[in-house]
Amino acid sequence: MSGICFEDVTVGQDIPNLVKGPMTTAHLVRWCAAMENWHLIHYDWKYATEHDKLPDVMVNGTWKQNVMIQLLTDWVGESGWLWKINFQFRGMNVPGDLLTAWGRVAAVETRGAYGVVRLDIGLRNQTGAEGTPGSATVVLPRRGGPAVPYPFDPACLGPAT
Amino acid sequence: MPENYITDEVKALIGTHNGPVLAFHPVEASEVRRFHQAIMDPARRYWDEAWAKSSRYGGVVAPPAFPPLAFRRAPDEPDPLDRMGEPGFDGNTRNFRGLPPVKVSLPRLMNGGYEYEFFRYARVGERIYRSSTYRDIYQRNGRSGPMVFVVVADMYTTDGNVPLVNMTTTTILR
Repeated sequence: MSGICFEDVTVGQDIPNLVKGPMTTAHLVRWCAAMENWHLIHYDWKYATEHDKLPDVMVNGTWKQNVMIQLLTDWVGESGWLWKINFQFRGMNVPGDLLTAWGRVAAVETRGAYGVVRLDIGLRNQTGAEGTPGSATVVLPRRGGPAVPYPFDPACLGPAT
Repeated sequence: MPENYITDEVKALIGTHNGPVLAFHPVEASEVRRFHQAIMDPARRYWDEAWAKSSRYGGVVAPPAFPPLAFRRAPDEPDPLDRMGEPGFDGNTRNFRGLPPVKVSLPRLMNGGYEYEFFRYARVGERIYRSSTYRDIYQRNGRSGPMVFVVVADMYTTDGNVPLVNMTTTTILR
């Protein structure tokens, strides 16, 4: 886990990628069982391809969201906080895909005693195709400043400038 | 011209609210284990009690997106697998958090995306409550035909109305 401070971050900076896979049907079934999701498109190839006209069974969006979240929680470590994240499932992912979550710093600002960093994020497959574009906002401590409060209360940031 | 699925009855659902609904079980350590192993996130906060106890979390916690998925089927609820084999049943009950059903006869369903705002991790042993609202329901007509977007906003809290996470999901019927 990193102990990153706001002063370590610059606009345009790439954060470390997070790689998962190659995905297999076993990964999908394990996730479906963990969350009790019985939607056939995740484990019934005949249904997925014939009824829903999909290319294969689908890697769950609910699983991919956790990869996007881990990308940021790994980066901010235990001294920062992943405040907001959003993403759209625009591309499908299937067994065999090697997935790389990535993030790039888009904007930085100080608010109160803390630093607020906005990032563009996404999830690419092994061909480089982007399937899950989005953005995230994290809160980081400033060097020598107080820790980001936990539980996180946005009021600690004061008004946006 | 594609059929209009946003009938007055469907439109009237926007703003409909329910909750707080309590998840049947509190957060359980082994459920957290299954979850973090399935997402392949080995962070110690999810499993190492000794480490977590001395951390800012005060004990083992569940991954940030766990609370929405803590609302499993209660023991007295119907088994969705009883419906497998029914024509047109795809394994998804299309139950939007117990809100009134969206009566749209499109046969396919996909997950469109998420927005989250995180405040706190749920700790093992804590109870989770959910309050939900249909934020929007609208139709787009694409190359592959009509699609209906169902946008649901949820607030997840624990005892004392302590906020855990706000989540907005978009489900696509097509």
